[in-house]
Amino acid sequence: MFLLGNHPIDPAPLRRELAADDCGGFVFFEGRVRDHHEGRTVTGLHYEAYRELAEKEGRKLVREIALKHGVRAAAIHATGDLTPGDLAVWVGAAAAHREEAFAACRELIDAIKARVPIWKRESYAGGSSGWVEGCACAARHGEGQ
Amino acid sequence: MSNALHGLLLAGGKSSRMGCDKASMVLGDDGLTQAGRALGILRQFCGPVYLSLREGQPVPAGGEGVPVLHDVPGAQGPLSGILAAFHQAPGAAWLVLACDLPLVHPGLLARLAARYAEDPSSPFIAYASALDGLPEPLCAIYGPSAFPVLGRHAARGHFCPRHILLEESVPLLALPEADTGALTNLNTPQDVAGVRTGAREVRVAWFGHLADQRGLREERVATTAETAGDFRREMSDLHRLDLDSGVVRVAVNDEFALDGHRLQAGDRVVFLSPFAGG
Repeated sequence: MFLLGNHPIDPAPLRRELAADDCGGFVFFEGRVRDHHEGRTVTGLHYEAYRELAEKEGRKLVREIALKHGVRAAAIHATGDLTPGDLAVWVGAAAAHREEAFAACRELIDAIKARVPIWKRESYAGGSSGWVEGCACAARHGEGQ
Repeated sequence: MSNALHGLLLAGGKSSRMGCDKASMVLGDDGLTQAGRALGILRQFCGPVYLSLREGQPVPAGGEGVPVLHDVPGAQGPLSGILAAFHQAPGAAWLVLACDLPLVHPGLLARLAARYAEDPSSPFIAYASALDGLPEPLCAIYGPSAFPVLGRHAARGHFCPRHILLEESVPLLALPEADTGALTNLNTPQDVAGVRTGAREVRVAWFGHLADQRGLREERVATTAETAGDFRREMSDLHRLDLDSGVVRVAVNDEFALDGHRLQAGDRVVFLSPFAGG
């Protein structure tokens, strides 16, 4: 399952959904808004998503990675205006053993950052703001095409 | 011929954005004016055919000898012409066609007529726009039962046929796959240039810093680009955007696409700068 939600997002239902008696390992990652970036003080973040494609691609990634590692996986990403400390993204993977849960969780958060059409604009102390340059590697490698 | 459809060519627009009378323009190689071409199509399906004009407006080239109905008071725009038609023949079903639809063809009207024949009690038979799903009221059939409905809206100051069809929850026909651009209308000299060169209209959405650079989030663009890659180059040149294919990906109709993807009228195209989620 992959969800996009307006800030604030609540991962509790996903967590309940993933937990299962045959899963002895449950790894989750929380991406939170950091108060600094490249030496500047960050006061807020705005996340914008191309919703139709982001939901489609996010669901596809979760399915692929869950299948590859034999885990139960889910993720939710926030959109809208966030401030430092707020939850921006939550990724969880549950499996019989911890190795595959760790591996799947790590791979899923990396894939979401690279392949799901979401952009962020940072606001800095002093009032300026700017779009954060993403990594162009997905375009170069033609992933998802 | 009492059950025959009556034809109404709407040519009473002021063509103010075009700067000259749209109905008298010749666009195709057949030498016909827009009015002449549209009248020819209407005659294939209708008994009597009428020309709807504003009071005092000269007959457009190609419309000579066709009986004229002048707009009735109490309404505005195309609705005024349609009401004038019902005043002329209240019991008739009217096949209404605007004169500024250069790509409309008899096959589209044949489908409207066939649908009406299945249920002659229908007040409205119309297509949904391939672009936004809204009704296309100016290539449509208005049955006799539409007359009181239109009159009621006009009395309340509702003159927009598209909104009237929306409010009446009219079931709409889908345009055939090959005809999604066939009801594109002409309002500006740029639109005419597009038709002459075979342009199609696509929707473009912008996100992130590209939306800031472009200065808007949604637009409709008439383009002659055959593929997503051609369109990428066209938009990048036109708006001085950096849409380098090594960095910026493209999506068509909410799917990632390759530059060789062939564009269709009505497609939704999005250029995707590198993602920065997480």
